[in-house]
Amino acid sequence: MKSTVSNQVVEITPPNLDGFEIKRRPIMGFGLLMSSVFGTLAVLIYFGAWASSDRIENRALAAGIYEAQAENEWWEDGLVFACPLH
Amino acid sequence: MRNLALWFDRRFGLEEHTISHYAWVIVAIAGVVQMVGAAIRMAFGVLVDPLVETFGWTPGSIGLAYALMSIVTALASPMAGYLGNRFGARRTMMAGTVLFFTGMMWTSQTQQIWELYGAYGIVFGVSQAFLLVPVVPAVASWFRRHLGLGTGIMMVSWSLGPALVVQVLAVLFENVGWSQAFIIVGVAGTGTLIFILFFFKNTPEDAGKVAYGTHETDNPLMTSGNIFVSTQKEFQGFVYKTNAFWNLINIHFLGCVGHAVILVGIIPLGISKGLGPLTAAGVLTTISIVSVATRFGAPVLAERMSPKMVMFVSFFGQGVGVFLLLTANTTLDFYIFAVVWAIPYGGEGTAFPVMIRKYFGHTPMGTTYGWQLLGAGLGMALGGVIPGMVFDITGTYTWAIILSAVFSLAGSIAILLLENTKKQLIPNWPEIEKNLRTVK
Repeated sequence: MKSTVSNQVVEITPPNLDGFEIKRRPIMGFGLLMSSVFGTLAVLIYFGAWASSDRIENRALAAGIYEAQAENEWWEDGLVFACPLH
Repeated sequence: MRNLALWFDRRFGLEEHTISHYAWVIVAIAGVVQMVGAAIRMAFGVLVDPLVETFGWTPGSIGLAYALMSIVTALASPMAGYLGNRFGARRTMMAGTVLFFTGMMWTSQTQQIWELYGAYGIVFGVSQAFLLVPVVPAVASWFRRHLGLGTGIMMVSWSLGPALVVQVLAVLFENVGWSQAFIIVGVAGTGTLIFILFFFKNTPEDAGKVAYGTHETDNPLMTSGNIFVSTQKEFQGFVYKTNAFWNLINIHFLGCVGHAVILVGIIPLGISKGLGPLTAAGVLTTISIVSVATRFGAPVLAERMSPKMVMFVSFFGQGVGVFLLLTANTTLDFYIFAVVWAIPYGGEGTAFPVMIRKYFGHTPMGTTYGWQLLGAGLGMALGGVIPGMVFDITGTYTWAIILSAVFSLAGSIAILLLENTKKQLIPNWPEIEKNLRTVK
């Protein structure tokens, strides 16, 4: 199992790839990755909006005012706006 | 030592799987690097209470340092993989060691919360990537065949390292305080890394040896020379054009979200169901111990059978297994879950190097593996915040368990959509002819 190649620097020529190329774009792989990214964002927005509306509701209840009158954080408004289910 | 190993080989007929090969020294070094690199990350929980007591910071603001570190490690992983390919794993890991020492010393002297973010979140985050990413591709280059065996043995350290260091840190925190503990672990860890990296060689050719599993008829692979870098760039271009490259990042992400939810949430979930803190911690320890078996077994099986099948079974088991938690109420239920779930969980992440070898042959895998760890790191960061977020909203962990299952099962579907592993997707990495010393 001894190697016959020494540590000396050897001049080597570029590999012959016989014109190998990949013409198709990786649509399936990239698409699956993007699906996961958008799916994850959807989950985060849904739960974030759920948490935000709970916080807004609790503040409004504590202050004895309507939810629309409560002063919200910018990210609470943003998440509720972004989620179509809240 | 070598004579003893040779005697073992003869005594037990291990000529095909000789233990007197330098590849095993590399595997042992890689195991220690993984232990040191990952242990402080896993031991973060031990750090929270002392910092709350000393500085009065909230657990949430301290936890932000952990989240920052996870994200920085993930983002630095592709660069760490590239540097490992370009300049060698040893140099990259030496740079990681310098950052490890800097991060540990700075953390020990932290007085302000922003210093914790800088020291632990950023410096230590980059250090982790530089230590953990290049080591796996380097081990792969030492195995011409039987990569699954080498990977499996190395991956066992993922379980043992944190289990060991958490105990050491807990004892040190108790006896010398958190600041001194970080100095001691930083100095000892850095000394250990410098010592073992002295024996580390990037490739078999660097050490004047041949890779494990090389046959007499095999030509050596190109690992240096005037066109090594340009060939690597050309081959990496092919890799980027495959579906497998992108899908494997996706699969790693989904799998890591799936198990991070459980690893972070199992102790608070157990406590919420009436388990004591020690009993709940024991569930996590059981998961760590049982998963050792499949961390070792999965890459070995993946190489002998089919990595796609092994990974599918692991992801599917990890996804379905968490449903046991929906009805778990007693200590026995939780321990049954720990044993049943740890088996697929252990095999979920360790077969990736074997899969990369099947698809891309002996092309240096640093950059490819680095991109996969980007997905894994972001998945771990996301999975880590889900249990707390869900509990704050709903008051239970039910949705966290369901989300864990959804992510793992989505990963298993993505595995089914991978290309067949029997066919390599890009050309063979160039070999050097023994006599002509030219590329085939």
